[in-house]
Amino acid sequence: MRLSAPVKAAAQRLTLPFLIFVSALFAVLGKADILLFDHARVLLADTLSPVFSLATKPIATVSDAVATVEDVFSVYRQNQELREENDRLLRWQEAARRLAAENADLRGLIRFAPQGAVSSIAAQVIADSGGAYLRNVMVNVGSNDGIQRGQIAMTGEGLVGRVVEVGTHTSRILLLTDINSHIPVTIESTHDRAVLDGDNADQPRLAYLQAKSEVIAGSRIVTSGSGGIFPPGLPVGVVSSTGGMRVQPYADLSRLEILRIIDFGLDGVLLQSAMPAPKPARGAKSNADASR
Amino acid sequence: MAHSLRQRDFGTVTRLVPVLSTLLFVIVSMLPFHIPGFGLIAPSFALMAIFHWTIYRPDLLPLSAVFGIGLFLDLLNGTPFVGLSALIFLLARTAVLNQRRLFFERPFLVLWLGFLVLASACFLFEWAFVSVIQFMPLRPRLFIFQAVITVACFPIGSYLLALAHRAVPANGT
Repeated sequence: MRLSAPVKAAAQRLTLPFLIFVSALFAVLGKADILLFDHARVLLADTLSPVFSLATKPIATVSDAVATVEDVFSVYRQNQELREENDRLLRWQEAARRLAAENADLRGLIRFAPQGAVSSIAAQVIADSGGAYLRNVMVNVGSNDGIQRGQIAMTGEGLVGRVVEVGTHTSRILLLTDINSHIPVTIESTHDRAVLDGDNADQPRLAYLQAKSEVIAGSRIVTSGSGGIFPPGLPVGVVSSTGGMRVQPYADLSRLEILRIIDFGLDGVLLQSAMPAPKPARGAKSNADASR
Repeated sequence: MAHSLRQRDFGTVTRLVPVLSTLLFVIVSMLPFHIPGFGLIAPSFALMAIFHWTIYRPDLLPLSAVFGIGLFLDLLNGTPFVGLSALIFLLARTAVLNQRRLFFERPFLVLWLGFLVLASACFLFEWAFVSVIQFMPLRPRLFIFQAVITVACFPIGSYLLALAHRAVPANGT
């Protein structure tokens, strides 16, 4: 269809205001969790995951190579450090054995029922948000691998975040530093409860602390289990010495490469939110069953 | 006939270079580069591409494409504000287009300076928008850092875009 010249000119003049209006509208509405966007995100991430997986490989190789060179130069110092650490750990091992035995005795006494079997899966980070106010990463596992919304992401060191979006072979992990992350935690030494609020800084903030509670730098912070999303007792970080009620996470969130996505079989408040939980794949179902 | 058809197809493909290179830059900015100490910040390569093509070939990177590329980025990076990048890119394109004469075939330093102003304005806008919507003034540190790293990487992006530019058929305008 051919438009007359004046109509065409008018349409062209209106394109810019129209598109600006639409994008501003989207951006403001986006806080309301529009389902369409969620589906579009998942679809796009799934479609592009081969590209990201492929492109991530050379980067991983380069950073591995750099790490190897660094290792060679620090072998001597590392060796000494490791010897000292080994001595220390041997003593801890002894302590741990003693405690394990004691624990077993005590559990027998109170008939403690351990938490259901936990299944976990390793995931590689294939993309990150790259934005100044976004703290999330995309990993290369999805519902085909049994990943479900709300599952927990950890490194060997500690908590990283939770799964907020699941595609068939990708998922997105919201890091605990994101402005939308609020994790119920406990200060281990005093058993005081708080909420760990991400505010886009490298060290998230302790909020909703009781007024009289004392927070000492270096105190361990673990999840409290309130709300039923995170199980209690997962290591999160230590209270930072820089002051201001901030927590240095144990996990190095700036260099995430491999994560463990863990299914604790918890279905807390998350599942009631806007997006329905995706149907678990066959493998996942057996895992979930085993954990109940 | 078949020959001329193929030539025409090739011409169509090369006219897509501005859009495709901008999309590619979006993907590159999302790869996990692990810059130590700065979390997950990456330079905004897409902004460089929009700056470049708006100056040299705005006809091949129309408003609708800029809008689409912004949405593409927003859907990919998991932002709760889908449309924010589209908005920023549209405003950036409009601003650059208005000042096109300042940059067209000028020395590289002039371009770099222009990009410095553009990137600063964009990140300031992004910071202000997110802070207002979240009802919480975000720490500006990471936005400043991202602006700095984006401006610092401009020569690299600019060089790659100049390479891509060679593939684009010339135009009278």
